[in-house]
Amino acid sequence: MQYRQIAVIGGKGPGPGQFGAALRGIAVDAAGNLYAANDAQITVFDASGRLRRRWSTAQPVHAVAVAGDGAVYTGQIHQIEVFDATGKLVRTWRDDALLGRVTAIGFVNGDVLAGDATGRAIRRFDSQGKFRNNIGRDNPLNGLLIPNGVVDFGVDAHGIVHAANPGKHRVERYTPDGELLGHIGHFHGTDPAGFGGCCNPTNVAAGDRIYVTEKAGPRAKAYSFNGDLEAVIASDIFDANCKNMTIAVDRRGRVYVADTVKLSIFVFEQVAG
Amino acid sequence: MSDRFSRRDLLHTAARGTVLATLGGGAGFLVKKAHGQVVWQVDSARCLNSRLGEVGVAACNLCTTECVVALSAVRAVNDHARCGRCNICPAYFNITSAVDERGLPSEKLCPRDAITRRPIGKADPEDPANNFYEYLIDEEKCDGCGKCVMQCKEPLGLGSIVLRIRYDRCVDCNRCSISRACPKDAFVRVPAGQALP
Repeated sequence: MQYRQIAVIGGKGPGPGQFGAALRGIAVDAAGNLYAANDAQITVFDASGRLRRRWSTAQPVHAVAVAGDGAVYTGQIHQIEVFDATGKLVRTWRDDALLGRVTAIGFVNGDVLAGDATGRAIRRFDSQGKFRNNIGRDNPLNGLLIPNGVVDFGVDAHGIVHAANPGKHRVERYTPDGELLGHIGHFHGTDPAGFGGCCNPTNVAAGDRIYVTEKAGPRAKAYSFNGDLEAVIASDIFDANCKNMTIAVDRRGRVYVADTVKLSIFVFEQVAG
Repeated sequence: MSDRFSRRDLLHTAARGTVLATLGGGAGFLVKKAHGQVVWQVDSARCLNSRLGEVGVAACNLCTTECVVALSAVRAVNDHARCGRCNICPAYFNITSAVDERGLPSEKLCPRDAITRRPIGKADPEDPANNFYEYLIDEEKCDGCGKCVMQCKEPLGLGSIVLRIRYDRCVDCNRCSISRACPKDAFVRVPAGQALP
């Protein structure tokens, strides 16, 4: 399986549709609109990469996700700000204990999942913000091994949570209740099928397969749910100093990767045949 | 009494000399500190091995090869507060070496085997990845070659390992050989009170 790059969105700069100093998260909604969590704002592009709107968040934003109803959830320090699709603030969830630094957000069965890098776990809340359970915390290390400093995960169509555990060189599968079902991945310093370095993969997305990014050297890859490497989507185009590159996939199977140094979002699609 | 020098005498003398030199060096440093004098220091933000952005280049070992002091007056130190305590540390393992039956790289990185790795607490026999590991640098073995520093640097590592001066060994040359050879001007003079241990 092969992928080709079809677009680059954003870039570093002061212009409209560009990012100032940080690009920490991306998400794609059902219509194919692309949301970027950059600096202390959310920037929205349409499916063709044209800037649609942007709005400010209360703090620097570390993650963004779009719920089925179009609500935009943004991860910050000790809080999640929820906006409607136009960027109007709907509500703020604040929890100093359970929301440290929120570096990923997802949804499962009507609940909200928040990746808390401070607590090294995924926090599951109901739709009203009431805490239900942790995911990835019930182990001898009391959490995910994240020397890279972010918790990231994806939720597949069956409601299984695929969480990066970079210190173990694995992507772990959990039920929403937090039961560990298994994992894919292993360390290997030279084989592309393995995860190299001290701690990879750093970021995960789940769609028709599992997508990951790695740091040092940065690359994006696709795996089957059984853990077979299906494609190295890209490597050389990313800045060598990149780390924690958020990855997202849309309904058409297009893959979006946020280069955290170039502050660009690279878009890839599968080559037919 | 024999006037021949026994092996034991020789070792005693050598050990005493080492201790005195160490104490002397340390005392000298304290005197400099008290008098507000300047001492040499490695600026981590400039050092090729630790400065951010320098990836894909070989480690610089001029601190080892240029220093006039045996073993070098420079050594690597690990800031344990910043260390990720990783299962697979790129500063400890040669992470591109073959993977062994335990799933770990089969070779170590340090040419002098100066770094030790040990699990913190009780290791999980079922899954060794289920643990934090502590990495300790043996100063008596380290010659400051910088390989571990380069591998620990972001984005591969967390940058917890850096090069520092052994003030008990540094003889404080006016025209320090390392400073003259350093390609990044990372060997700098600082007031003794600001020197990092």
